[in-house]
Amino acid sequence: MTVVPAQTAPAASGGGSSGLYDVLELVLDRGLVIDAFVRVSLVGIEILKIDVRVVVASVDTYLRFAEACNRLDLESGPHKNPGLPDLVGDITESGARAKTKGALGGAAQTISDAFHQARDEAVEEKTSSGTRGRGSSRREEKE
Amino acid sequence: MSTYVYGIASADRTLPEPIEGIGDPPSQVRTVRSGDLVALCSDAPAQPKAKRRDLLAHQHVVITAGKDGPVLPLRFGGIAPDDAAVADILAEHHDRYLEQLKALDGKDEFNVKVHHDEESVLHLVVTADPDLMALHAAQRAAGGGTHEEKIAFGERVARAVAERERTDAALVEETLAPYAAAVVRGPQNTGHLANLSFLVERERREEFLEAVRALRQEHEHLREQVTGPLPPYSFAGAG
Repeated sequence: MTVVPAQTAPAASGGGSSGLYDVLELVLDRGLVIDAFVRVSLVGIEILKIDVRVVVASVDTYLRFAEACNRLDLESGPHKNPGLPDLVGDITESGARAKTKGALGGAAQTISDAFHQARDEAVEEKTSSGTRGRGSSRREEKE
Repeated sequence: MSTYVYGIASADRTLPEPIEGIGDPPSQVRTVRSGDLVALCSDAPAQPKAKRRDLLAHQHVVITAGKDGPVLPLRFGGIAPDDAAVADILAEHHDRYLEQLKALDGKDEFNVKVHHDEESVLHLVVTADPDLMALHAAQRAAGGGTHEEKIAFGERVARAVAERERTDAALVEETLAPYAAAVVRGPQNTGHLANLSFLVERERREEFLEAVRALRQEHEHLREQVTGPLPPYSFAGAG
């Protein structure tokens, strides 16, 4: 499996692109495998991977953490305005809860949206040379 | 004409609607029956390639067919020489597939990926260690410290963060596992501290999601990303 850097992720997927990646990971790496079947070659497959915060043990990471820590004001806590949640109290909590619920409940929706979106993009590829960032799609076409 | 296979279901199931499969133009999904089982199939493209559109089409077929009952999802890309070969496989593993379908009935997969909110976790690990607190104070007082001091400090912080990732991964699994019928750990190469798939009974879905929400509220340095309900890819087994 080839992993492409985040910048080739199609902008068209918007906020759903990471969800799209999560689904493909499951479709490609999990699921029942029947040994007697031939498998479609996955050589050269492009998986869109959004991975901006890989933590590796390197001097760069150490410096980044040190700088980030230096900016931390340990007295005031991790958030800039710690008083706010207390002030708003229950209203914020129930509001956030409703929002969270919506986000979780919407996951399946996102998956079918992604499917339709991919279909739409495929149609577009035929009719135009592509004005949006679809690096991986185009590279697949070449194979 | 070779046959592409999407998943396996019980034979008393009818497909909810005409479903479009892989290929361009999309192939029509049909069933191949053997005993009490059907395989969801379509003609395989002459030169099948793993295109993003086809990956999503595979997913779409499994999800659509799974609306009314359990489907044993195949991994993307399984192609049999013809329909007869598919029927042979169904016959050969008939009872095991039936058993698996029964075990998966009424359950969905939820994939949970967790990562740290960087600022919050840095705050946590520094304040949890008096040595790091003292170093932090000294470096801030010195306007950040020398290059070497920064690296030495950052390395200690990175180690503490890595340790925190391990304990938080265990915390997430221990917290959510009681609400699931099964748990599978995914590969850890995606920049997440935890990549877990839970098999969740539909009656317990709200409980499970509520537990995720509670986790989010109690541990604000954790960022959870939940995907689901999904076909039970991680619980379909081999064979």
